Amino acid sequence: MNVTRPARCLLCSFTRAATPSTRVPRRQFHPTPAPLSNRKPKFPNVKAPQTPDYKPYTEEQKAELAKEYSAAQMAAIEAGEAAIDPKDLAEQMNERSDPMAFKYLDDFSVIEPGIDRHQRAPESNSDYNFTLKTEADFINDFGRFIADMPDNATGADFVRFADNLRVTHGKEENELDPHSALVPDLFGPGETIDEPRVEERKTAAEKGEKERSAEAEEMTDALKSLLLATGYTEKQVKDLRTKTLVSHSVTNQTRLGKIRRAYRLSIAGNGDGLLGIGEAKSDEASDAKIQSQYRAIRNMQPIPRYEKRTIYGDVKGKVGATELQLMHRPPGFGLRVQYLIYEMCRAGGIHDLSARVGRSRNQMNTVKAAYQALMSQRNPEQVAHALGRKLVDVRKVYYAGKV
Amino acid sequence: MSLVNLSAVCAHLNNATKARLGLTSIPNSNLHLKLSLALQHSGYISSVVRGGPTPPPAHAILGIPAVNDRFEGIEQVTRDNVSSRRLWLGLKYWQNESVLGKIKMVSKPTRRVYIDVEGLRRVVRGEDSGYVAGIRSPGESLYLSTDRGILEARECVEKKLGGLALCRVL
Repeated sequence: MNVTRPARCLLCSFTRAATPSTRVPRRQFHPTPAPLSNRKPKFPNVKAPQTPDYKPYTEEQKAELAKEYSAAQMAAIEAGEAAIDPKDLAEQMNERSDPMAFKYLDDFSVIEPGIDRHQRAPESNSDYNFTLKTEADFINDFGRFIADMPDNATGADFVRFADNLRVTHGKEENELDPHSALVPDLFGPGETIDEPRVEERKTAAEKGEKERSAEAEEMTDALKSLLLATGYTEKQVKDLRTKTLVSHSVTNQTRLGKIRRAYRLSIAGNGDGLLGIGEAKSDEASDAKIQSQYRAIRNMQPIPRYEKRTIYGDVKGKVGATELQLMHRPPGFGLRVQYLIYEMCRAGGIHDLSARVGRSRNQMNTVKAAYQALMSQRNPEQVAHALGRKLVDVRKVYYAGKV
Repeated sequence: MSLVNLSAVCAHLNNATKARLGLTSIPNSNLHLKLSLALQHSGYISSVVRGGPTPPPAHAILGIPAVNDRFEGIEQVTRDNVSSRRLWLGLKYWQNESVLGKIKMVSKPTRRVYIDVEGLRRVVRGEDSGYVAGIRSPGESLYLSTDRGILEARECVEKKLGGLALCRVL
């Protein structure tokens, strides 16, 4: 019997009335939908035209406009109307839906150095025979300026003269807008790829500083003791990567009833080899979060990293029923791991890794087991000492230490 | 070549390292002796001495039995005592961890795993080949029984030899 269709009278299926006109074939022995005979719609999908209709102004509208605008402006409006075909206007004002349409919004008003074609001054601007002006030339220029000076000269005149004063003999374009074979700079002064908009960032940071200075006065005792214990400054603590990975509530059953508290497990790392986990319980969820983050910062330990990107060898970790395996991977492999381990790798500064979490996938135990596994790496140097043999990293030898 | 006895040896060595023993003994056989010498050559164990049911006398300086002990000497194997001979292995520890981390059989008494040079090349590079998993951790080794004795996988690749994969040490 088919699961998807109820059992029916076998003869009923032959009667016309019992089988309403359906496009699904009657005998269906499997739950997947049967392919329709004709997938193509009979009629092409007609799209309603969205182009707005641009009509020329009527006489009445022109009379209305004439109340607002001057005669010259009206003449300009009429000239513009005559110059642009309403059909062109309708086509070009419309948002493109053709396959070649741009996938992003851009008005193409700015030339982006990394994306657009370089804009260079033409080669004809170059003048290879230019010479720098001598002191005598400058004196001549200045004399000419004094001689031509109007009677009521102001400071602005001198500024204009100084701005327009050229320092070379030869083509003017060569000095003002020279041709260069070099690719134009990708970033403006002070910009980097991480901070493309320095000015915007700066204002944000300045704002942050003001807030922070206000916060410093009311620094919590927990933060103060954290700073005292770790030796970090407040800014360094702020810059650490912290993330709360596990959050749930726990209850204590007493004879008076259940007492609920919030549980949080956080990780902290500097993104460059330090990683710690901390857990906390509190009546207040926000309090538990902060506590767990501070504990994670206190618990930060260096994790061994091969080439600052992956781990030494394959390692295993086990907490409770959660058993996991972390496997080292070649450069550029990325973090193909589940989200909890991904966040730990991000915080700890591991870039190439894969992992397999077997048996239980309890979040809390996964994080703890991953931490255990990361800490259980065997350092090849220590292995070499233990074995009493010389071990050499072939990658370093092969690439002449350039990895 | 009894893989049953070899499995028992592997299990015994795991137990001995977990119990932090400095010296332990395994039954005497040519296979066990060859594997022990290979392990010693790789640096996983410190000494291999053939002795009787009781531990052989310790070396005056090393503190463990040694084959080149000039003062105590090694008891000769004779027709009378050959059945009571055992191999006494000195176990190593480094930074509170046993150097011979865990020894595990690859071939089983019910399934022998053979591997050729091509496969071994893959294994040594860290890739899996057939039933043999790749060597992917520092200090990991695989021992094979070949025509030229019991060798480590990397030695086998050097000498272009395949054979019976015996056990894996991590």
